[in-house]
Amino acid sequence: MKSLPLLFLGIFITMALSWSVVVLFPHQQMQNLTPASSDLTDDQEKPIGGAVYYVDGKPYLGKNIEGDDTFPVKLVGEAQRGKLVYEEMGCMYCHTQQVRRQGYGADFERGWGERQSVPRDYILQERVMLGSMRTGPDLTNVGSRYPAEWHYQHLYNAQITSKGSTMPPFPFLFEIKEVSENFGPSADAVDMQAYNPGPGYEVVPTQRAKDLVAYLMNLKQDYELPEIKFSE
Amino acid sequence: MSSNPSLVESINPSNGPVLDMRARLGEVDDSMRKPAMLFLVSAVFWLLAGTLLAMVAAIKATNQDFLGDSEWMTFGRIHAAHLNTMIYGWGNNIIFAVAPWIMARLCKARIRHTNILMLAGIFWNVALTIGILGIFKGDMIGVEYLEMPQYVAPIMLITYALVGVWVVIAFRFRQSEHVYVSQWYILAAFFWLPWLYSVAQIMLVFEPATGVVQSLTNWWYQHNLMGLWLTPIALGTAYYLIPKVLGRPIHSYYLSVVGFWSLAMFFAFAGIHSLIGGPVPAWVISIGVVSSVMLLIPIVVTAINLHLTVVGAHNEGWASPTMRFVVFGAINFTAVGVIGAMMSLRHVSETTHFTHFTVGHAHHALYAFFSMIMFGAVYYMMPRLLLKEWRNPFLIKAHWYMSGMGGILMVVALMVGGWVQGMQMNALDADGAPVYDFLQIVENTKPFLWARSMGGLMIMVGHFAFAMNVFWMIFSPVEVDKVTEPTLLTSTPDKA
Amino acid sequence: MEWNHYILIGILSASVFFVAGAWALHWAWKTGQLSNMEQGACSIFDEDEPQGEITDRFPVRRKRRNFRGNPTVE
Repeated sequence: MKSLPLLFLGIFITMALSWSVVVLFPHQQMQNLTPASSDLTDDQEKPIGGAVYYVDGKPYLGKNIEGDDTFPVKLVGEAQRGKLVYEEMGCMYCHTQQVRRQGYGADFERGWGERQSVPRDYILQERVMLGSMRTGPDLTNVGSRYPAEWHYQHLYNAQITSKGSTMPPFPFLFEIKEVSENFGPSADAVDMQAYNPGPGYEVVPTQRAKDLVAYLMNLKQDYELPEIKFSE
Repeated sequence: MSSNPSLVESINPSNGPVLDMRARLGEVDDSMRKPAMLFLVSAVFWLLAGTLLAMVAAIKATNQDFLGDSEWMTFGRIHAAHLNTMIYGWGNNIIFAVAPWIMARLCKARIRHTNILMLAGIFWNVALTIGILGIFKGDMIGVEYLEMPQYVAPIMLITYALVGVWVVIAFRFRQSEHVYVSQWYILAAFFWLPWLYSVAQIMLVFEPATGVVQSLTNWWYQHNLMGLWLTPIALGTAYYLIPKVLGRPIHSYYLSVVGFWSLAMFFAFAGIHSLIGGPVPAWVISIGVVSSVMLLIPIVVTAINLHLTVVGAHNEGWASPTMRFVVFGAINFTAVGVIGAMMSLRHVSETTHFTHFTVGHAHHALYAFFSMIMFGAVYYMMPRLLLKEWRNPFLIKAHWYMSGMGGILMVVALMVGGWVQGMQMNALDADGAPVYDFLQIVENTKPFLWARSMGGLMIMVGHFAFAMNVFWMIFSPVEVDKVTEPTLLTSTPDKA
Repeated sequence: MEWNHYILIGILSASVFFVAGAWALHWAWKTGQLSNMEQGACSIFDEDEPQGEITDRFPVRRKRRNFRGNPTVE
């Protein structure tokens, strides 16, 4: 082939096209998404089904119902910091944060969610970690499934709560302290059952463990959105 | 010395004072010796490091308490370090060694100012080391394939670009009449990568895009890193080495051109099939599925072409270390493409998605296809760069058998295990309740993970054989007679 | 810069590239750039590594060393 201009153009076209189609167009579609109440209304405050309504065949975005809670909500404080712990420990290599629709896979049957995850669920996240692997269960709604104590035990050593799990232990997120003679056990000490240190000692979560658990407790898509209702 | 050429002039090899315009292959090799060896030696070190990290990760996958008390050694960080070491340490270093060398040979042009290339090599490896340490330290970024902390990204982009510029310069001042298809692949890859890398860094790390656009960008980057960087380089290498070793031209040059364009066109969209079922618009996924299936065109075309080139020369191929590795890689290119196309179908993806099958697929592509072709290239390149012969044929054979069989064992174990895992994950009884408890599935996949670790162990043996041979050759004092021939011809009985 | 602008630039550049590519393909076809391709396949061979010669083999095992310490091949 002697036609070099053709070669260079082709090299650029392929890239420009794929970038536009795969990244830019979806971005265009999604950038108008905002937190929404579970149902929307049109101009006349009449409830509409779904996220858009039509006047003379033209689509308009629905409006939030005044006074209703809007979702998703932004993470703050401990939970926000906990997400960084989740990130730096590489949790996403074994856990997903996305629920597939009913009938596609068994996500519903395993109790991982009551509805499919949709783009709006993720709009406030600075780092979206959908994950690509389920060596461990999906965590989209893990905040609704277990109490905080369960998470502390599970993180300290997964065998305490889930015998046979291959999840790595995270003992470095905890401190083993001598129980104070004057005040007795600390308020935030966690009972690690078979993994408790010897008598006179207790396991206390560090701030990082508290952040991480706060984040996990905040993982829930337990709200409905205009475009998606439960059991869909 | 009034006619001192400026830097720009001196880049042009034809401005050399006494040398001919058109370099002979031996002269090209000579000009590339230092930078190519720097990149190659770094690549071998990273390969060994990545292999060790892989072994640790593999053991942790079944025995989670192994090194479990150390924060630096927790599974997530080991996994990320392994991934980045292999892709940016082994993969990119070996590409920076092999691709400019092939480019320079095809352009019949000496590479000038290799000191700058060396400087790029040093910066690249220093940045990489800082990046990997950053992952261990906890500065990891939660974006697959871009885990290295953002403070190294600019340095990496600049060094990428620097190597790319040298490739383009070699191409610009080529002394050959024809632009061979390998040159297209290499040139295109060096244009695509900086674009991919910078866009992904900006939209994911520096100025993160809204919501799941991040996930789309991530998969776009991940798949195109494979499809528009590693794959074109590996195919360009195969298109150069197979005809070269056998001394016969490629079967159909026309088909190789068709293969190039269809690969570029369809691979660029294919990555999105990895989000099937995910919270992204359905039409994007459909595009991903369609183009993944269309990818069968370049795969079949390339398979036919390379196969027909080799056919009838099997003995010669078997007698050549380069050919053994490259043909092994080429066959797996076909296999990985066909499997990838199937995985992109919604019904298949329902089972394979989120399982070890995907991990097997990634190793199939990155190891059994890409890395094996690169090993082949090293076996061809090093004797010509150093004008030395490989020291030990047994070590070459050990490398080939261990890497080949170990790689296949690993891929098969992960794929079968992943399939079992996916089937059990989705299995429902008559009442619509899951048949298998989650922890039971974890237990059921363990035998496959053990088999995977066995495969990994074999690969590790292969890599140490490879490294031993490489360093043995580098440090051996014996040089072949280089006065008679500008290129090294192997010490065959009739040539010696 | 607003994302809208990126998208506009993306669409514009994509369409420009597309038109240009189509034109270039047409031009290449008209001027016979796409004919006689097989000739290019031989361009990788030259007098140093000519067509018809096998250039890679397993190193032959060394039997003895000559007086300079270099391997002699049999």
